Amino acid sequence: MMMSDIAKDRAARSWKKRGSVSSLSSHEFQRREIHGRTKDSVSTVSYMDEPSQRDDVSRLTVQMENTYQLGPPKHFPVVTVNHILKDVLTNYLQEEEYEPELCRQMTKTIAEVIKAQVKDLVIPRYKLIVIVHIGQLNSQSILIGSRCLWDPKSDTFSSYVFRNSSLFALADVYAVYLE
Amino acid sequence: HIAFHRGCTSLQSHQQCMSCVDGVLGGEDYNHDNINQWTANIVEQSLTHLVKLGKAYKYIVTCAVVQKSAYGFHTASSCFWDTTADGTCTVRWENRTMNCVVNVFAIAIVL
Repeated sequence: MMMSDIAKDRAARSWKKRGSVSSLSSHEFQRREIHGRTKDSVSTVSYMDEPSQRDDVSRLTVQMENTYQLGPPKHFPVVTVNHILKDVLTNYLQEEEYEPELCRQMTKTIAEVIKAQVKDLVIPRYKLIVIVHIGQLNSQSILIGSRCLWDPKSDTFSSYVFRNSSLFALADVYAVYLE
Repeated sequence: HIAFHRGCTSLQSHQQCMSCVDGVLGGEDYNHDNINQWTANIVEQSLTHLVKLGKAYKYIVTCAVVQKSAYGFHTASSCFWDTTADGTCTVRWENRTMNCVVNVFAIAIVL
């Protein structure tokens, strides 16, 4: 029992730095398909790459020094990120038709790609959340909304909607400043 | 489900969000005129309840409501943050005419 705790602690410490451990969760609703093969089934697949359990008691906390900064020295470039979103979505989805399997993989891939590109901008002390929705475009109706509780002077978001003849895709990036 | 951090369980927020969605959408059928209002209500109520938990977090709440139809829908999210301190929680709700997915992201404020 002790051994595994120590091993977990070691693993936890190596993941501790604010690193790019991606937590991917994808939710997919599979409807009655046109040939009537699958009926109204909701399949939810969640992939979470969690490093270890949270044993707060035994963990050593890292003490940070004061930076005496009141706000972010470099703000999040919303316009640049808008362009990134537009480029990624257009490149990946311009020619594609909607297919359940393809789009399932595509949502996850696109989320990862966008995250990597925004990270490359190297905006210090910002945490990122990237959300991608892909759906089949037809006469159904969908509404997606969000509200955030944060500091509007330092935190912001960016989003882009892409449409082609058979599908639509919405990509959101939320950037939160680490105080 | 695993705890966010420092005692704030995602189970709590899961239950809160579930009850918010139930309160707003329970018993209703999909209606294009009201959908704006409902989404706004769900998100605002969830946020209010989360704030009442009184933890030092910034919150992002997203809600997607889809009419049930023969067509598919996928969502995925990817996050770059401190995995020891930040967390997320998702609530899926459905009835006869629609599906609802509510995502809560909680980001720790280091005081």
